[in-house]
Amino acid sequence: MSRKKLKVVHYLNQFFGQIGGEDKADIGFMVKTGPIGPGLALQKTLGDQADVMATVICGDNYFSKNPEQAGEEGLQLIEPYHPDLFFAGPAFAAGRYGVACGAICKAVGEKFGIPVVTGMYQENPGVDLYRKYAYICKTGNSARDMAESISHMTKLAFKLVSGEKEARLVSRENLPKPEEYGYFTRVILRNEYMDKTAAERSVDKLLVKLLDKPFESEVVLPQFEKIPPPPPIKNLNTCEIVLVSDGGLVPKGNPDRLSGRGNLRWTTYEIDTFLPESFKSTDYEIAHTGYFPVQILEDPNRLVPVDIMRDLIKEGKVGKLHPSFFSTSGNATVSRRCAEMGDEMGAEIKKRGVEAVILTST
Amino acid sequence: MRLEIQSIDIHDLKPGSKTYAEDHVLYVNSKELEEILLKDRRIKSVDIHFVYPGDRVRIVNLMDVVQPRCKIDKVEADFPGFIGKMQTAGSGRTRSLRGITVLVSNPGTNRKYSALLDMSGLVAEMSRYARMKHLCIAPTISEGTEERDFEDAVKMAGLKTAVYLARGAEGHPVDEVEIYELDIPSLNKKSNLPRVAYYYQLYSPQHDHIGISDPCFYGTDVRNLTPTIIHPNEVLDGGVVGAHTIRALDTYTIQNHGVIKELYRRHGKDLIFAGVVCGVANMEPVTRSRQAMMASNLVKNVLGADGVVLTKIHGGLPHVDLALVAEECEKLGVKTAIFIQPLISYGTLADTLLFNAEAVNLIITVGATMERINIPLDAERFLGGTADTKIYCPDPIVQHAGDPVLDVEQFLIAGVHDHLGGAKIIVKEY
Repeated sequence: MSRKKLKVVHYLNQFFGQIGGEDKADIGFMVKTGPIGPGLALQKTLGDQADVMATVICGDNYFSKNPEQAGEEGLQLIEPYHPDLFFAGPAFAAGRYGVACGAICKAVGEKFGIPVVTGMYQENPGVDLYRKYAYICKTGNSARDMAESISHMTKLAFKLVSGEKEARLVSRENLPKPEEYGYFTRVILRNEYMDKTAAERSVDKLLVKLLDKPFESEVVLPQFEKIPPPPPIKNLNTCEIVLVSDGGLVPKGNPDRLSGRGNLRWTTYEIDTFLPESFKSTDYEIAHTGYFPVQILEDPNRLVPVDIMRDLIKEGKVGKLHPSFFSTSGNATVSRRCAEMGDEMGAEIKKRGVEAVILTST
Repeated sequence: MRLEIQSIDIHDLKPGSKTYAEDHVLYVNSKELEEILLKDRRIKSVDIHFVYPGDRVRIVNLMDVVQPRCKIDKVEADFPGFIGKMQTAGSGRTRSLRGITVLVSNPGTNRKYSALLDMSGLVAEMSRYARMKHLCIAPTISEGTEERDFEDAVKMAGLKTAVYLARGAEGHPVDEVEIYELDIPSLNKKSNLPRVAYYYQLYSPQHDHIGISDPCFYGTDVRNLTPTIIHPNEVLDGGVVGAHTIRALDTYTIQNHGVIKELYRRHGKDLIFAGVVCGVANMEPVTRSRQAMMASNLVKNVLGADGVVLTKIHGGLPHVDLALVAEECEKLGVKTAIFIQPLISYGTLADTLLFNAEAVNLIITVGATMERINIPLDAERFLGGTADTKIYCPDPIVQHAGDPVLDVEQFLIAGVHDHLGGAKIIVKEY
């Protein structure tokens, strides 16, 4: 059975798109029919299974000024081609280009739900920014590696569109093995079958450890960053304080859909309406399966101490309570996502000009 | 202590007018079994069904899976403290039937983490149980019986059924005999082989249903157990059973304990199996420190171990608790290999650790039991519940057993993961 030819769109910067060098880096988006530059090699590798319908080109400076917005702009040009598959770059070690390739892959992947493949050198800043959103093949640090990179990207792309079930994975998903296909892992974990039980592995490895020989742990210990505490608040009586809690307190019905376990979201509620002095305990629920929430459901102030804050303000000890409460659920959420949520909340809190945070947990 | 397990391979399971085994076929008189189970007044009725690989059936509200086993040479010695008289498990001869299990459902359960099993479709590809034949039992509650009391009755019904089936196979030729013999008092202390102990975290009370712990150790709960030494045979031979929810650990898994069997296999060749210390996960930091101190002391100064393998119960709190035991062992100079279970499939492997202890540096990924999976409906029939039985999802989604697709975590599927290390699964970054 011959398969329908796949429609491909390819993204390049001004240099590889043959518009010009650094002097043309401010140029905006354009689209050209068919493959261009590295696209010719890409078309050759794709053979008769896929057609590079169009090449979208944008200057590196233009894109990197606002990658998210530029990604959206690029989508407008890509949409009419209804691609089955999207390639960007490869960008090798070029930083702005790498960010552009990552951002456009993210936008295309999220919008059309198709496989998005690019290539970068390990030190390219685009790798850490976009590895979650795109399949980024490992490349050398310069265009000398073009032919091989294109070949890797194509091999990976064909695997992604094949829809093959993977008997290797417990989930049977079509997820290519990172080592085999040479791409940067996308910050997810999967259960994989292997030839030895966990019990056999543990005893094998422990015996090596007991001999004081180098052993291989299945998890390498993380290096935690040391974060110095900020200086203390000078004038608490003029200070605005925001309340943040990971205890999963939400309005009845959980409108923002925080998960009870493994939650990855956070949200804000306006205290005046969310937790007024005359609150009704039936108006709340707890999106957190890790503790017994009986007392908190009786009085949410025991998780989010709004009542105490109101008293302290009346007494003149604290300046102001920030009108929104930041809520999330921290139950078996990985530290990485907690740190990300902390950064997101921190940025928002800073933007709002709030000076101090009280975090309450369970 | 010497335990002889005589295994009989059962290739088929069929209804019969009496219960007996012939040519690897086990015939079961369901009527007789029903009468035995109904002697427990807490049970009003019991559904009994035969289930085979490929059947388009989904079994829900699963509470336990049990391998049919019975003691051959001892009286009232099966699952002592649960259904047998109080006596030490783990010595003498035990008949064990391979290829079949007892699936135990509680159709009236209020627990959110009840497990399921499909005998066809995607789940059947994942679960080792989907390749076996089963007798499914689903008791219903008698009027006036308390919920928790009934749960214990269901649990015991599963154990009684397992014993009943194994007794039925009396006289059938044995396919394999395994000897588990470890004389701990006379272990060769002069051996050059390293002494390896096993720390068995038996239970965690964090999800106790309506605040009551499940009995899982000689008929009692272990919520307040201080770390203690047990003989590994006690675990293999019915002294320990699964809790009232499966969560990647059931009685079958304990009867075939991955780490204990592996340490036995290598005993005298690569290592000296120094014994088992068991403990529980603790809810409170002072208790946690005290128990970790006691457990590590038993491992080091009573069993005299050079190394220890540590396994955990499902969840985050047990992960923290276990790491502290490991840390204390390392402080005493006992080298550790610790099992962990990533609690979420987001992040790197390093992100999933809930401890920060440099010495606890040999970590085995027993499986990301909370990995999500979408299961398309393949079943036409439901046992242990109905198409309307609720199936748990950590997101705020209400879903039912008969939905076209279920979004579940893998620990809800019986026979995929195994906290005791018996599954050939590893977690990798993708």
